[in-house]
Amino acid sequence: MVTGSSGADTTFFGPVAQTARLMLYGLVAVVLMAMDQRGHYVPKIRSMALYLVEPVYHVVDWPARAARNVFGQFQSHRSLRHDNESLKQQLLRQKGALQRFAALTEENRRLRALIDGADGQTFEFQFAELVGVDLDPFSHKVVVNRGALDGVQSGQAVIDGAGVMGQVEEVQPHFSTIRLISDPNHALPVQINRTGLRTVAFGSGETAALKMPGVPRQADVREGDLVVTSGLGNRFPGGYPVAVISRINRHEGQTFVVVEAMPLAALDRAREVLLINTPDTAQEEAPDNVDLVEKSALQQDALDEETVEGETVEGETVNKDIIDENVMGQDLEGEDGE
Amino acid sequence: MNRRRDRPGVLVATLLAAIVLTLIALPPALDGLRPYWVALVLIYWCLETQGLITLGLAFSIGLLLDLLTGSLLGLHALSLVILVYLVTRFRARLRFFPTWQQALSVFALLLNDRIILLWILSLRGDPLPSLGFWLPPIVGTLLWLPVFLLLDRFRGNMRRRAAAR
Repeated sequence: MVTGSSGADTTFFGPVAQTARLMLYGLVAVVLMAMDQRGHYVPKIRSMALYLVEPVYHVVDWPARAARNVFGQFQSHRSLRHDNESLKQQLLRQKGALQRFAALTEENRRLRALIDGADGQTFEFQFAELVGVDLDPFSHKVVVNRGALDGVQSGQAVIDGAGVMGQVEEVQPHFSTIRLISDPNHALPVQINRTGLRTVAFGSGETAALKMPGVPRQADVREGDLVVTSGLGNRFPGGYPVAVISRINRHEGQTFVVVEAMPLAALDRAREVLLINTPDTAQEEAPDNVDLVEKSALQQDALDEETVEGETVEGETVNKDIIDENVMGQDLEGEDGE
Repeated sequence: MNRRRDRPGVLVATLLAAIVLTLIALPPALDGLRPYWVALVLIYWCLETQGLITLGLAFSIGLLLDLLTGSLLGLHALSLVILVYLVTRFRARLRFFPTWQQALSVFALLLNDRIILLWILSLRGDPLPSLGFWLPPIVGTLLWLPVFLLLDRFRGNMRRRAAAR
């Protein structure tokens, strides 16, 4: 038992050397953590190293995928038919809602063009599924099965069927890691839909609550108000539902009230998510879309107002870049004419 | 003690199994109960072999675990280094404890690890976790004996196979 074969442990100053090593490693670990927390260098190294260890995720996801496949095989014909029917109904209902949405988008775009505001943007979505990998429960991250090879980029916004979930943090070839909005280090620029009041929603560390500490005392905020993204910060596109205000703490003598809101997205339960291609990533196709919609908006204008001259419309379709100014000028002319 | 040598493949295999168990998705009801698998496996190897698990090895395994679980880089590294240090320090005593006493010391180790994690979380400004935070050490302690026996049998089989060759 007492053999000296294993090196430093059993020599005279073994324990001392061991303690010194413990201190050293402990120090390195603490420095690493601090740097990771502050975002110095370490996140870059981390995302590079993740490329190397990606196979582990494949291994871990395999049983879950296999189980899903087997389960799918044995699903009964009847339950499939039932699912199919209810999904069809749901699709029809949502199509109905979307018909109105298209009209509203167009109207919105026209109005924005009138006031020379920012373009209403159209976004592309990418479907992704959560992988059967559970990360550290204190890190508020999830892994989805789309990665760099599918065109995912760090910083993309992620939503599920009900609301905003988070943003892409690290990208690997086949997977990417998403930081949820419930992370205490996550801040999301939002606005209250009813009043337009802009504020920032911070994660609380729990999936059931967001915190909005920057709401002035006099502000018009009520429980049940819908909170949507404001689009400031250029990361999350504006107008996506985030949460519903659940509690308002009004302490006497404080300038700000602390507002708690309940996220709409199923942060801890969602299986399917959508990645939003922000305009930066979808820049190539954006001009075409804008052009198309502008053209149809122009046609609409032409139908609405007889004062529009044909030659201006032609001029505009040729010249994409100054389309906004033209629309603006043309409409002003129209008003002047009347 | 049997002086036949373990092949490193056995250690790697058990550690990989522990990492997979750490990452694999559990139903939400069981999610909060997941024991610290890697710690259990490392305690086993520390107790049963001498000089195989160094602090440097524990540190590297911890870093790998941090990378894979997406936690703060260095979190698991710190926790595993401290754990391995304690086990190697008290190895001579721990090895000859009766089973229940050994399980109790494993509980103490896992609890200590939890306290370190709590300290780091609070430094980071996270809110204090709920009572469920203290469940994994209990689950880990209950699983210690089965894990120990399983690993022992696996290792014994591998050694016998190596010797027969």
